[in-house]
Amino acid sequence: MLKNITLGQYYPVDSLVHRLDPRIKIILLIALIVAIFLAGNLLAFVPVMLFIGFASMLSSVPFKLLLKGLRPLRFILIFTFVLNLFFLQGEEILLDLGFMSIKKEALISAVRFSLRLVLLVMGSSLLTLTTPPIVLTDGLERLLSPLRVIHFPAHEMAMMMSIALRFIPTLLEEADKIMKAQTARGADFESGNLIQRARAMVPLLVPLFVSAFRRAGDLAMAMEARCYHGGEGRTRLRVLKCKAADFYSLFALAALIAAVVLCGKVY
Amino acid sequence: MQVTLDHVTHTYQPGSPFQATAIQDVSLTIQSGEFLALIGHTGSGKSTLAQHINGLLKPTDGKVLIDGRDIHEKGFDKKEIRRRVGLVFQYPEHQLFEESVAKDIAFGPKNLGLPQAEIDERVKEALENVGLSYEEFAEKSPFELSGGQMRRVAMAGVLAMRPEILVLDEPAAGLDPQSREEMLSLIAGLHQKGTTIVMVSHAMDDVARFATRAVVMEKGTIAMDGKPEEIFRHAARLQEMGLDVPSICRLGLALREAGIDFPEDIFREADAEKALIQLWKGAEKC
Ligand SMILES: Nc1ncnc2c1ncn2[C@@H]1O[C@H](COP(=O)(O)OP(=O)(O)OP(=O)(O)O)[C@@H](O)[C@H]1O
Ligand SMILES: [Mg+2]
Repeated sequence: MLKNITLGQYYPVDSLVHRLDPRIKIILLIALIVAIFLAGNLLAFVPVMLFIGFASMLSSVPFKLLLKGLRPLRFILIFTFVLNLFFLQGEEILLDLGFMSIKKEALISAVRFSLRLVLLVMGSSLLTLTTPPIVLTDGLERLLSPLRVIHFPAHEMAMMMSIALRFIPTLLEEADKIMKAQTARGADFESGNLIQRARAMVPLLVPLFVSAFRRAGDLAMAMEARCYHGGEGRTRLRVLKCKAADFYSLFALAALIAAVVLCGKVY
Repeated sequence: MQVTLDHVTHTYQPGSPFQATAIQDVSLTIQSGEFLALIGHTGSGKSTLAQHINGLLKPTDGKVLIDGRDIHEKGFDKKEIRRRVGLVFQYPEHQLFEESVAKDIAFGPKNLGLPQAEIDERVKEALENVGLSYEEFAEKSPFELSGGQMRRVAMAGVLAMRPEILVLDEPAAGLDPQSREEMLSLIAGLHQKGTTIVMVSHAMDDVARFATRAVVMEKGTIAMDGKPEEIFRHAARLQEMGLDVPSICRLGLALREAGIDFPEDIFREADAEKALIQLWKGAEKC
């Protein structure tokens, strides 16, 4: 019943992109976002699209799955596109509908905004599809650890994140199970008005919270029993190490940024 | 009433990398008045099968029929299935949510749209049925009960709907021996009063004691289907599937290996006792 959430769902295959160092992948994503916002004209989006296309080819993630991440955004996409298209001013009229006209500048800007959104989501989906959440938080922790000098709790943050991530599937499973159990008792989660539906959630949410608290208590106890005391002096299970492919991908990144800037200038 | 699974296949999350076919081409008819035990190794698809019986899961392929009518066809009232087929999940105590035991048990009957007087009466009856006194427990919070008591309250929540078929997914798992015994005799009692029982179980001794029919699942298909005495004759095949046989079967096997002529079709404690006494007497005569 609760099974269609792509953003943040790992696609378990082995590929070059899957094997990249998570720190590098995070840096790549940040740079990609910067590149997307740097792109001043439509031509400049071409290298970005090539980069994402190439990366998704290397990743063996079906392109369909990447597109699926866009589904929840489809209304926002259509909305921004239409808004841009009709309400932006310009000089060159492309299409005159009488009461309204579409200008060339408006069309370009509409395409640009939608493209930006699509590429942003696809880029981030690519990261989460090719990196297990736990590895991702590991990478984040390492990237943020220099901030410890200003007392930023990088380890604690990462630990909280990985615990939260670790329990999302568990809680979803649990929610699914409780939902079924209550449905078997005649509960109806799907019909009725807003208030009735909100009320129908009580038999789901109460047991879910109870079990989440129970799990949290158990986990805290288990961690304490194994003498967990925070980040100081901990060694890691997965030691992150950059390999040749990681460096190559950084070259590709540099090429991307250069191409985006260049395209923006040339046009 | 009669429930038929007609060539039912169920695949979880089809089309994703997590795709898993849990049951494959399963056909099964549950007759009124049966005590059917569903056995099988972990992951063999028992729970998946159980959830098809009351229409919680929709078959990817095949049909589920109640009294000959397809329950997933348009216009079939889902409420009617919920009323007639009760399902008690594994660890049902995790689904309690109300502030009092009585309210929690009333949840099902309320969803059926019954009048308040009838609901009250059913709650009372269901509580007594599971061996908890109404006066003592009705107003308690379900969260302050022991695990075994919570399980009974959850069970009462389903019983209060007065289902004709009761499907139980490992109802005795994780209970202490005495609660186990009480839970099982409660189920046996319901069966005697005319409720059709489908019980998922790993404990072969329980199957031997109570079931009138046993269905053995292996890797999503039905491997054996028959009376318990027929099933347990194939001890070697069962063990091959990673399943146990009743302890009496093992005793018989050991006795026969030792050269004692213990009959093969005995798997209940009471029968074994008689057979052993007879053997004893036979031995004395010589
Ligand atoms: N929600 C789900 N999503 C994906 N796969 C599932 C889901 N539920 C069960 N499965 C898979 O279906 C198969 C059968 O599961 P099922 O729960 O029916 O087994 P079972 O016989 O009840 O096992 P157990 O004795 O452990 O309860 C298993 O391989 C399991 O991994
Ligand atoms: Mg199960």
